[in-house]
Amino acid sequence: MSDDTDTALLVEGFRRQLAALVTPAVIREIEDGASPQSLWASLDETGFVDAMLPESLDGAGLDLAQAFPLVLAAGEHAVPLPFAETMVARAMLAQHNVLVPAGAAIVLAGRSALIPCAGVAGHALLDRDGQLVLVACSAAGSDLFRTRSATGIHVGETLATPAASDDGVLLASAAVAAALMAGAMTRVMEMTLSHASDRQQFGRPLGKFQAIQQQLAVLAEQVLSAQVAARTAFAGRGFDATRVAAAKCRANEAATSVCNIAHAIHGAIGATAEFDLQLYTRRIKQWQLAFGSESYWAERLGRARIAARADTTADFLRLHLATGSA
Amino acid sequence: MTLNLNNFPPATIPDHAEALRSDVKAFIAEQLAGVPPHIRARTWSGFDANFSRAMARRGWIGLTVPVEYGGAGLDAFARFVLVEELLAAGAPVAAHWIGDRQSAPLLLHYGTEAQRRDLLPRICNGELFFCIGMSEPNSGSDLASVRTRAERVAGGWLLNGQKIWTTYAHKSHYMIALVRTSGTSDDRQKGLSQFLIDLSLPGITVRPIMIGTGDTDFNEVFFEDVLLPDDALVGTEGNGWAQVNAELAFERSGPERIYSSLVLLDLWARLLGDTPDPLDAGRLGRFVARLAPLREMSVAMTALLAKGEHPITEAALFKDMGTEIEQQIPVEIADAVAQRLDGPHDPELLQTLAYLMQLNHVFSLRGGTREILRGMIARGLGLR
Repeated sequence: MSDDTDTALLVEGFRRQLAALVTPAVIREIEDGASPQSLWASLDETGFVDAMLPESLDGAGLDLAQAFPLVLAAGEHAVPLPFAETMVARAMLAQHNVLVPAGAAIVLAGRSALIPCAGVAGHALLDRDGQLVLVACSAAGSDLFRTRSATGIHVGETLATPAASDDGVLLASAAVAAALMAGAMTRVMEMTLSHASDRQQFGRPLGKFQAIQQQLAVLAEQVLSAQVAARTAFAGRGFDATRVAAAKCRANEAATSVCNIAHAIHGAIGATAEFDLQLYTRRIKQWQLAFGSESYWAERLGRARIAARADTTADFLRLHLATGSA
Repeated sequence: MTLNLNNFPPATIPDHAEALRSDVKAFIAEQLAGVPPHIRARTWSGFDANFSRAMARRGWIGLTVPVEYGGAGLDAFARFVLVEELLAAGAPVAAHWIGDRQSAPLLLHYGTEAQRRDLLPRICNGELFFCIGMSEPNSGSDLASVRTRAERVAGGWLLNGQKIWTTYAHKSHYMIALVRTSGTSDDRQKGLSQFLIDLSLPGITVRPIMIGTGDTDFNEVFFEDVLLPDDALVGTEGNGWAQVNAELAFERSGPERIYSSLVLLDLWARLLGDTPDPLDAGRLGRFVARLAPLREMSVAMTALLAKGEHPITEAALFKDMGTEIEQQIPVEIADAVAQRLDGPHDPELLQTLAYLMQLNHVFSLRGGTREILRGMIARGLGLR
């Protein structure tokens, strides 16, 4: 798939299907412990989970840049199952001619304080002893954010060990998390803008107050820069440590102001179970804790800057962090 | 309108523009050999007419001006490459900066053919330096309230009033000023026009303003019955506000809004050595993580400018974030340096740091304050 218009149509179709399938009611049911089976079957049926497989394997042959809008959309809809993770995992495995069991939901289980969606997946991709490993798994430990995540996984049968991998799964995990965060933050911005127009105080909409406008401007800045950073992590043939580091660091930093501002403008109602905002901000907070914090990735990025021996930071940005350098 | 990723479509600097980079690097290496970082840290505040003329001899002023007017006839991407290299190295570009960035594009777009033929070749060959007359003592962020006035008289216009904070007016040949030509301050954006003012005319007094650092880049400029010729009007009478706004995307979208503290950052990074401690590596990495998407946005806006678009809201968003990191770099490096009470403290690093610590708080003022920019973003989000 190379044509931009085709890709745009594909993404549009996917967004429509997500809007129909992943309603806030469905998200809540799964958070409350319902079986993920029927939603997963519907998502699997859309075919998008194979979007990054080559056309010879009945995929759509999307590269990372073309798949990025799908991940963003999954974040925007707070898909409570590892759709984006499975799509990326299948592509990584297919590169090594490993075909995964039909219908398998796969989490990306890079080293992490918690694994999002571990409670609703039967398979995991790991970096283990220098190898890329596909295993059967189940959730272990706590679901800290009521998102069906887990602080760990029980590793079961090893299903494939197709290639060497130092931290390839960690990079994929962090890149996908950064893009899902960017997507969820996009939705949070839309909800906050709409609430600011609807909600009246002192006889006029909140959005007419300068103090609120200034905060919404900052919200937009943070969301846009997290989106651009995540897009850059999806620009190359594979996930590059430097671009992923910048993307996850930036997403984590942005997430703090985005959640603070969104909840401040919504007031207490935004945190209630019946209001949808918290479906998105809880996930954003979960991803902040998953696959490395801003300090973890900042340290790696700082060391990469020094190791590159670039004359200037502008050179480093151009050679290692530009869309065009991928 | 709302703001989303489509406002910053992914863009790559084309090869024809990248081809310029190695020549620029070589030129800078030769011109700036031996210039210490605390001087280079002045970057686009550093005025050096000889440097600007050396650039003109290479054909690098007015890069986007058509060849028939003395320019290089290249596109916005080529200018991005040139400017990025100049700023990253801390080249003293102030002498030709305004003319190159704003005045030449303005004249090209709104000027008469005679103005273009007269002025553009002299901007491009480094003969004419420009300044901008916007702020007045009672008109800061509220620019539409300007009171300097030009009245039609026989043979031209009679100018009276005062401008302030006019960077390098004392070393410039021309000012392009926003003044009132009809109505009063109450008419706001209506009745404003742009004028090309030859600063050698009788009735003009330029008085320097010294700031706390001892620098005198700023000036007050007084106009007392200055007789401007007919052809001093730029563009259309009464259209000044729209013309000024068209300049803003040029003024706010470039690398100068993210690289003002880069010389300091790179000096500090070099001194960290090959094995920085985790805290310093993290500080460096956070700067890089914040700069990376901003540079992407700047390249994306360059592509939009090259297509003739005016990404004004996007530029406001970019500049607000860019100046924030320019301000934050000296703050966090000061924190890192002074965390070590007993040093070692590199003298050149301290001097460069101190220079920027005394100026970083004003980085968010020049070219539109934070609050004005955020108001523009709010408008872009449909809130006003």
